[in-house]
Amino acid sequence: MIQVTQETRSGWYVVAVRGRADAEAADELEGALRAAVEAHPKVAADFAALDYISSAGLRAVLQAARAAQTAKAEFAVCSPSARVKKVFDMSGLHHVLQIYGELPC
Amino acid sequence: MWHNRAILSEATFILNGNLTELHRLSAEIARFCQDQCPDNDVAFDLNLALEELFTNTVRHGGCEGMADAVHIRLERAGNGVLVEFCDRGSAFDPVSAPEPDLEAPLEGRRPGGLGIHLVRKIMSDLHYRRSGEWNRITMRIPI
Repeated sequence: MIQVTQETRSGWYVVAVRGRADAEAADELEGALRAAVEAHPKVAADFAALDYISSAGLRAVLQAARAAQTAKAEFAVCSPSARVKKVFDMSGLHHVLQIYGELPC
Repeated sequence: MWHNRAILSEATFILNGNLTELHRLSAEIARFCQDQCPDNDVAFDLNLALEELFTNTVRHGGCEGMADAVHIRLERAGNGVLVEFCDRGSAFDPVSAPEPDLEAPLEGRRPGGLGIHLVRKIMSDLHYRRSGEWNRITMRIPI
């Protein structure tokens, strides 16, 4: 289960995601991130309060990154915990996504 | 006393073929690891590997909607946790499934394939066998 909140900060649209991005929550995560990148030129997914992610959650992020490419929007994954970052790394997604240690704004 | 210790060092649970069971999977792992593996990374990794196997058999193995679709057994042994994951889905050997291309650029990446890759990264000593209508996967996570 995830909770999503959004705010605009210094030119970035920040989508903060809290909770567990598992297979049950993946559609909600993808929907929130896709809606953001399709409507805003610079989107930061703030994962500081994301406790867990599985491949279903990774796929949601990947789909949002693809949608951002199509919409020519900038999309960054920010502040993942060490455990969540490890799942991105094990999957090779650090090669294809912009992952920042902290928010760019 | 010995009897109690033996019970605490293992856990078994049964899941129905529905993704809402992920909550119970996570709660069962947390309960087991609270006693057996004080390092929280083990609970995280165990949860990840078992979610991938469970979701795979529900989504692709035909277990969607099936009662008692998955049996899981965890046992603390030596310097790790032994895990047995049994499901009544169609025959699927995660040990020999092909690896996804992790170096592919964004537009060339196929969704899928990552789950089993994560299981193989996290777990050691994976063995698979088909036994009647069951897939039986045994593996170990080091502590």
